[in-house]
Amino acid sequence: MAWDIAFDPMMMSRWRKSSLRTRLTILYVALLVLLLTGLGALLYWDVKAFLISSTAVRLRAQAKPVIERWLMDVQAGEAATQFLLSIAASLARDLTSRDTTALILDHNGAVLANGRLLPEEPLPAPVDPERVARALAGENEITYSVMVGDQHTMVLLIPLRPQPGHPYIVGVAQLNTPLTAVDQILWREQRLIIFGSVLTILLGMAGSFWLTSSALRPLRRMTDACRRIAAGDFSERVNLPPRHSGQTRDEVVQLASAFNDMITRIEDTFASQQRFIADAAHELRTPLTAIKGSLEVLLRGSQDDPTNAKRLTRAMYNEVERLSRLTEQLLDLTQLQNGIILHRSLIDLERWLQEEFMPQAHLLVKESHLELRPGEPAKLYVDPDALKQVLFNLIDNAVQHTSTSGNIQLGWQVTATAVSIWVADDGEGIAPADLPHIFSPFYRGDRSRSRLRGGAGLGLTIVKRIVEAHGGQVRVASTPGEGTCVTLLFPVNPVLSGV
Amino acid sequence: MNSSPPRVLIIEDEQTIVEFLRVGLAYEGFQVEIARDGWSGLRLFNGQEFDLVVLDLMLPDLDGLEICKRLRSVNADVAIILLTARREIPDRIAGLNLGADDYVTKPFSFEELLARIRAVLRRRGRPQEQPVVAAAGIVLNSATHEVHKNGEPIDLTPKEFALLELFMRHPRRVFTRETLLNRIWGFDFAGDTNVVDVHVHHLREKIGDRAKRLIRTNYGLGYSFRPDDDESLA
Repeated sequence: MAWDIAFDPMMMSRWRKSSLRTRLTILYVALLVLLLTGLGALLYWDVKAFLISSTAVRLRAQAKPVIERWLMDVQAGEAATQFLLSIAASLARDLTSRDTTALILDHNGAVLANGRLLPEEPLPAPVDPERVARALAGENEITYSVMVGDQHTMVLLIPLRPQPGHPYIVGVAQLNTPLTAVDQILWREQRLIIFGSVLTILLGMAGSFWLTSSALRPLRRMTDACRRIAAGDFSERVNLPPRHSGQTRDEVVQLASAFNDMITRIEDTFASQQRFIADAAHELRTPLTAIKGSLEVLLRGSQDDPTNAKRLTRAMYNEVERLSRLTEQLLDLTQLQNGIILHRSLIDLERWLQEEFMPQAHLLVKESHLELRPGEPAKLYVDPDALKQVLFNLIDNAVQHTSTSGNIQLGWQVTATAVSIWVADDGEGIAPADLPHIFSPFYRGDRSRSRLRGGAGLGLTIVKRIVEAHGGQVRVASTPGEGTCVTLLFPVNPVLSGV
Repeated sequence: MNSSPPRVLIIEDEQTIVEFLRVGLAYEGFQVEIARDGWSGLRLFNGQEFDLVVLDLMLPDLDGLEICKRLRSVNADVAIILLTARREIPDRIAGLNLGADDYVTKPFSFEELLARIRAVLRRRGRPQEQPVVAAAGIVLNSATHEVHKNGEPIDLTPKEFALLELFMRHPRRVFTRETLLNRIWGFDFAGDTNVVDVHVHHLREKIGDRAKRLIRTNYGLGYSFRPDDDESLA
């Protein structure tokens, strides 16, 4: 039955659809039923076997001296048969009591005497010739039970010998005893086991239900929290039980705690994204105002004056340039935020700078001097395009913050653990108050000045992201009025760099 | 028209915004001075008489609110309009509390700024466009929207009135059809410049200028109002 249910596809699908709590409870209860049934049955059979065997032993012990006394002087042979015939009635009567009736059978299995005289003495079971034959063949321990009327009766067959152990067998004594007392005890035992099992199962069911409920409660809370978060409330957390010192947290609480950590992280990310979008929108506002206003002024009639038209058109062109630069940087940053895929290769730093980077950099740096200050030979395992972007950003920054006669230097240093590439200028420097913020998106120390030259305040953010993706660090040292030095620390991989 | 044009000081560091404000306001008949940071703004303000200051709250050197306070302490009568970014709502309130008359939020439209400038000047009783303009026997009152020619009332549609007002306030200036269309029908007007010609034609009829002496057609350019030349005919 149980197997049929388990393999019924309907039941299986319902099983899969049911809640974890239901499934755990069902499993637990099923296990309990199996265990209790097995144990109960075992106990029942054990008690039954004990009661029956102890009854048999008692009867045999009682019968033994009676039989020995009656058969003491018997001689093997025909005389013995005659003797048995003469004493059979008395022997049967002696072996009979309130709970036992004895039959005496001769060596042919015929009944010689029935010990039952009084009505309260039990009825004997009918003779089983096959078993009697086995007893006559010398089998000592034949015990079995049959139904006599509605009475469960135990039957013992005892071979009758002149002396204990003697091979000659005169006849058989059949002792019949009803198992009323044993049956009563067993019936009570059975009730006890069933009642106890049912009670235990009920308690177990309630217990397991409570246990799984309480164990799964944080999960349920987590589900609720998830729903509220999905609805947009990122301040939502799963309530955790207070942590007492030395108390270990169970797995579900650990999960809830990890879940809370995750939500905190998401909330932070979300907030910083929103801040970023707000900042970006703010950055777009000024160029948009300028373009919109210029267009309005032109359309209102200034276009009729070629000088004004030219000035405003040029200014608008610059603003559009600014917007596209900003858009470009926003795209870069978004790509970096989505996780940077680095296409690393091993480069010889000096050769790469001389042949790849500097020719392009000199296109950018027309007014200021850009000087390369080589260090020891170094090989770097980096993404060359990303490194180029980083250095361009730094040099662009340096250009923006130096006078036209200013000097920009690009160099590197090799230590045991890192290759540090630095870009230094002798420009205006960064105010100490601004230093902690320079890597934040859209932060500009001297707002208007750098905006005039087109920076959106994203350059250093991009630099930092790229360098950190390489496992490196960015350090900035600056003295207002004397200049700024940005150092990129790339950790050396001894195997790859071959230093 | 006889009074001197209103003098406006713009304190703003954004090059392009300065550029269009200067060109636009000058075109609208204001006399414009520019300061690219707070200090030079204050210096200019102390040296000259201004009717109105357009002040950006975000300047490289001085806090815009601080400038606002100083301007107000020097001159209680000057009108001050703040340029702000949307996120600085507390700044706007602080600015108004510190004596600014109004503010516009970036990105603002030039027309909106112009409207606010005119409203603020009006409130302050500053020199501004006189409601009544008279030339070549035509008297136009923009406050009452009435036009008289030699004492006789003339019935004009709103567009015709606006055209005539623009012409009379800017005598001798040549307006292209596009400019007239943009200023009177709006930037988003979808029609073509013929509508200007049609309205000018009607206007000429109504003011008795069939000879096209008052409103001249400048071939290849547009239209202009020439009352002085007409005086000989009057």
